[in-house]
Amino acid sequence: MEALQIGLLGLGVLVFLIVIRMPIAYAMLAVGFGGITILSDGPTIILYQLKDLAFGKFANYDLSVLPMFLLMGYIAGEVGLSRDLFRAANAWVGWMRGGVAMAAIAACAGFGAVCGSSLATASTMGQIALPELRRYKYSPALATGALAAGGTLGILIPPSIVLVVYAIIVEANIATLFMAAFIPGVLAMLLFMLTIGIYVMVKPDSGPKGERVSRLELREATFAVLPVVVIFLLVIGGIYAGLFNPTPAAAIGVFLVIVYGLARRRLAWRGLLNSLTETAKTTGMIYLILLGAELLNIFMSRGGVPQAAAAAAVASGLDPYAILILLIIALIVLGCLMDSLSIILLVMPFFWPVVSALDFGMPEDAVKLWFGIIALIVVELGLITPPVGLNVFIINALAKDVPMMETFKGAMPFFLTEIVRTTLIVVFPSIVLFLPRLLGA
Amino acid sequence: MSEALASAGRGHAEPRAVGFVRRFIWLWAVGFGGMLLLAIVFMTAWSATSGFLFDRPIAGDFELVQFGIAIAAFSFLPLCQLARANVIVDSFTLWAGPRLRMAMELLGALVAIAFSIILLWRMSIGMHDYYVHEEYTAIIGIPLWWAFPPMLFSLFLLLIAALISTAETLGLLPRPEPAETPPDQE
Repeated sequence: MEALQIGLLGLGVLVFLIVIRMPIAYAMLAVGFGGITILSDGPTIILYQLKDLAFGKFANYDLSVLPMFLLMGYIAGEVGLSRDLFRAANAWVGWMRGGVAMAAIAACAGFGAVCGSSLATASTMGQIALPELRRYKYSPALATGALAAGGTLGILIPPSIVLVVYAIIVEANIATLFMAAFIPGVLAMLLFMLTIGIYVMVKPDSGPKGERVSRLELREATFAVLPVVVIFLLVIGGIYAGLFNPTPAAAIGVFLVIVYGLARRRLAWRGLLNSLTETAKTTGMIYLILLGAELLNIFMSRGGVPQAAAAAAVASGLDPYAILILLIIALIVLGCLMDSLSIILLVMPFFWPVVSALDFGMPEDAVKLWFGIIALIVVELGLITPPVGLNVFIINALAKDVPMMETFKGAMPFFLTEIVRTTLIVVFPSIVLFLPRLLGA
Repeated sequence: MSEALASAGRGHAEPRAVGFVRRFIWLWAVGFGGMLLLAIVFMTAWSATSGFLFDRPIAGDFELVQFGIAIAAFSFLPLCQLARANVIVDSFTLWAGPRLRMAMELLGALVAIAFSIILLWRMSIGMHDYYVHEEYTAIIGIPLWWAFPPMLFSLFLLLIAALISTAETLGLLPRPEPAETPPDQE
């Protein structure tokens, strides 16, 4: 058998193992190990590499932002930043028709600015905003659907765990990618709010008006979110302005949320231990997948699979945009079945060579940013679509009396909004590229 | 405090030694790895602030980050295995009966066991190589082999954790109750 055939066979085995519930990390490790062994006529080479491959991989400086941003997000959840954010947003827009749901979206966006995880954002904001949405008698579909969609802002607005991993795979600058993600992220927030506006115009009963608050309360609630603004400005602003690399910026962010929690007496020893436990589990899970992806990629590039995929794409004679759309559809389908991080790790080593081989009339670095943001959006769509919409599951678990289908139905308009946003970004790459260019990256 | 810890108290049918091991794996991940992560975070924040304000960062701070995070990340692996935090795709096998699921789960647990044994073996040799050939980090000059004893211990715990999860799959040990939320994936 030729190397390429062995590589393709390996991919088939990988898919099979994943389908039969093997943890993705271990499936990658097993197939990578086996494949390299076959292609290099025995395990000598891979056994030699394993002496320090894992250490080398885990000691990657760029990766060290992952545990730090995770810890920052978990602590931010513990110290109730989400509550302050929702209260302030609600004071501003809660009095409008559908306003409480819009406030939840805005608060999700604010929380996304200190947290890089969608599920954490969905669960934290869900616990805060769901009782309020019910108090104002929002329809269950709108209430839960908006929160499930709002949760995706956790990852769409920097910092973003998935973007860090994408940056490492395609060798892009994390800081530049964070810049690229900003305008699309804000656009997502605005479009989600617009979606709610249209939703309540069509179904006025689904989102009644909330209460108008007094001037004093408005001012007080607004001041309460200043710490979040300061943390975001220092961490993400510091990265944008080139003051800090992502890792020191993340470290400062963790420090600041701890200081905030201590100052407001909201962070106890127990909360810190909970955050560390969650960080440990998520970090361990991500690092193990990264190691598996490394072995798999050594195997695949020896087999020449990514190169063959790129060559096939060029030889197909299809329009670059047609291929791009096919890749987007593939990512959406995968997003319905797997978590976004695994998808990025699994397919980017194949998809990126294909995309970079095509001519979109842009420099390669620009395509890297553009495609990264598109991929980020579409893999996140899986969080709000059946069968495994994890955000929907999380919100639905908080609202036990709402049937799962209602939540999926409520999330549907937001899904359509996201398709519109993806189309906008595909047609107008400058939505992504404007900020990096402005900041001279 | 954590599922690992909480489940240890619940394990009525579980030998006390196993409960102790579960608690120890949690302690190793959070008490050792988590605290190391926090220490690295504070060191980095201090270095960045000091570098920004007084142009005096801690020399070689990034080496400490690389070193410390690698050690911490290894210490998280056993907890991850024990808490079943590794992501799986289960949408295709919802129809499967308990026996089939058990068989599939067993396959994953066996790969975990094999992986920890192979890596334990290879990385001990890796440590020996670094020890004999004396490699140091470029700026602070920490001997690279220093990172290996805690990493090897983590792999040893990973092997134990994989054995425990195998025993759980086979029904020999009670399963800790599943976490309230699905494992975080981003």
